[in-house]
Amino acid sequence: MKRLSKILMLTMVLGLIASACVSGTADTTATSTTQAATTTTAGQATTTTAAATTTAPAPAEPIKIGAIHPLTGGLAGAGIKMDNAAKMAVADINDAGGIASLGGANLELLSADSTGAAEVGQSEAERLIGEGAVGLIGAYQSAVTTNIAAISERDTVPLVIDVAVEDSILQQGYKYTFRVQPNATAMGKYGAEFLNDIATAAGETVTKVSYLHEESGFGTSVFEAFKAAAAGYGIDVVAEIPYGAFTVTDLTTEMTQAAAPKPDVIVVTGYYNDGVLAARAAQDLALDVKAVYGVADGAYDTPEFTSDFAGGEGFFDANYHYNAASAKVVEIRKRYEDQFGAQMDTASMLAYQAVLVLADAINRAGSTDPTAIRDALAQTNMTDHLMAYPGPIKFDSAGENVSAQPVLMQVQGGTVLQVWPAELQESQPKFPAVSWK
Amino acid sequence: MTETNVATRGRSGSRNSRIALVVFGVAALALLAWVTGWWESHHTIFAQVMVSGLLIGSVYSLVSMGLSLVFGVLDIINFAHGALMSVAMYVAFVLARSYGVDPYLSLLVTIPLMFIIGVFVQATIINPVMDAPLHSQLLLTLGLSLFIQNLLLVLFTGTPRSIELPYASGSLGLGLVTLDFPFRLFGAVVTLPKAIAFIVSLLLAGALFLLLQRTRLGTAIRAAAQDPEGAELVGIDVRRVYLVTFGIGAASVGAAGSLILPFFFVSPTAGETFNIIAFVVVVLGGMGSIRGALAGGFLIGLTQELTQLFVPGSSKLIGVFALFILVLLLRPEGLFGSRT
Repeated sequence: MKRLSKILMLTMVLGLIASACVSGTADTTATSTTQAATTTTAGQATTTTAAATTTAPAPAEPIKIGAIHPLTGGLAGAGIKMDNAAKMAVADINDAGGIASLGGANLELLSADSTGAAEVGQSEAERLIGEGAVGLIGAYQSAVTTNIAAISERDTVPLVIDVAVEDSILQQGYKYTFRVQPNATAMGKYGAEFLNDIATAAGETVTKVSYLHEESGFGTSVFEAFKAAAAGYGIDVVAEIPYGAFTVTDLTTEMTQAAAPKPDVIVVTGYYNDGVLAARAAQDLALDVKAVYGVADGAYDTPEFTSDFAGGEGFFDANYHYNAASAKVVEIRKRYEDQFGAQMDTASMLAYQAVLVLADAINRAGSTDPTAIRDALAQTNMTDHLMAYPGPIKFDSAGENVSAQPVLMQVQGGTVLQVWPAELQESQPKFPAVSWK
Repeated sequence: MTETNVATRGRSGSRNSRIALVVFGVAALALLAWVTGWWESHHTIFAQVMVSGLLIGSVYSLVSMGLSLVFGVLDIINFAHGALMSVAMYVAFVLARSYGVDPYLSLLVTIPLMFIIGVFVQATIINPVMDAPLHSQLLLTLGLSLFIQNLLLVLFTGTPRSIELPYASGSLGLGLVTLDFPFRLFGAVVTLPKAIAFIVSLLLAGALFLLLQRTRLGTAIRAAAQDPEGAELVGIDVRRVYLVTFGIGAASVGAAGSLILPFFFVSPTAGETFNIIAFVVVVLGGMGSIRGALAGGFLIGLTQELTQLFVPGSSKLIGVFALFILVLLLRPEGLFGSRT
């Protein structure tokens, strides 16, 4: 009997661990119990209220803003980089004289760890607001951001989303949430458009694609938007293969299935780890396709991918991107690399950008009242931003950035270069392009 | 007593029936594939499923054997097993990146190093709680796992990294035959890193069998597993046996870390993915059974890939966990476990 009880206990803990591992995608209560136990602050956070929202600190006091990202767990790599970028943005603003309209008041960044779990992100948002944050940025994952947006609406403290793609976050009629990055519909729509554009420009036809995507809301929503838009260009999705990004150890079988209907192009939407596994599988199988094409993929436009995987030459990714042509961006990225010893990726640039957007709104509001800041955010019209968008950062009534759109990038000569649309081109797209052919 | 069951406690079931069960399981799955008529149009995919399943299964086996050994001998459920794997992966990664050491050569470093770390962990952390209730031991190893993961996070950041074998796509001369990698087996692709992982995993499993069966140390380990007090009475230093056993467990997961690095990635939580599967394998194969871990690893590898084939649109682990529940219901002691 002792043995049986041991097995039962093991099964239960195994369940908890398994759910913690997929917490990037799932909203399970089991996750919150394990995670809360590991996050000392999370427990107390729920007891604090949003009392601080009414107190307007004197101009000399630093103005607190909160940043929530996954600083531990499977997505810690991206989360820590984003948090560093937000810190750097705050330091830059303070060095440049702080918030002018409030007598040069400094900003203070309160960093919080979502651990990748929606519930923890939510309680951390409550804690930060309780500690006096007048605005929040975050949170890298759609599931986590969804919960934070609900808190920010309830406590009337604005949230500027740096990274989180799902459309549904801003379809709740929220007034306090704004998104800097393109949403899933924009990703899928432009992803399909760019694919059609570059194929046409190269005199090639693309009529069949197979689509591998991670199975959570992120991958599914981008896939659906792509599929709908692709149909308009006569591009058929002949195979859809979802997979669990946080539990997968090999994608060779999935890639074999994707290749079975003989597609022209393999399209991939996922995070970094699984993106690398997919790329390896494509190379191992020496797939007879014209390109491997990421849409909002977390791997194919990153410096690590090009340095760690030589077979990635020619890979495409239609994703958000910093404006590589901007001198300001070049300068920020250089300082970031000097300071943190890692190349600054676009997610980090979006975190930096989100702080700038929030600071700009605080400055125009001339107040630390969160509602006044929210009203100023709604009036944002930022032309000197850092992203590869065709227009200024401006929010519509739902809080979406009207100019947000992805740009198509390709790994060329071991570097990620912007190849489409023409006005943002650093290099001509090479199509077809797979390194093993 | 079944020789390979280090944790045999009481009457063991018939070995033939267990082997029959495994064979039956694989045969049933294969039959299912064949009957659905997929073979005609999808034989390449099916071949790939079987090949991928066996290749990844060998790594699962290696990881699970260490976990099963520690459970069988020490009666400890080691949740830090996956974190130790991440440590080994980072050691191999740093050796490869900074010193240009071939990942397979790094086995010569990771295996002894992880053995020493294992012995150290056992001596300082686990030994004091050997007589503590199960849940305290469990929480301790869980805490150790979190500690190691966060230490790795501080040291290496969370950015996943990977390395490539410079000679992964080349030819390998085997006397008369020359194999061009990656080569095709019934249409399924086999890459060099996966083939090496498969072969070395089996060799290490064989070595572990020999160690347990043919050496005095192995006999002592088995004795300590069956009856610690009896072993002590006949002059075996049981605490020392525990140290060595935990060391072997860590060394086997260390080897697995080096072996998978060329076709996986390393991050502080990379080992955790394998740990979850290893727990399923250990319960499936019979807790404490090395042979069960070996067979279970392959069975889980195949189940996972077959799930992808027949239940597309879901996580591959659904089939694995379904099998897990089925085994718990039908044979709670595991395929190779002893009945209590």
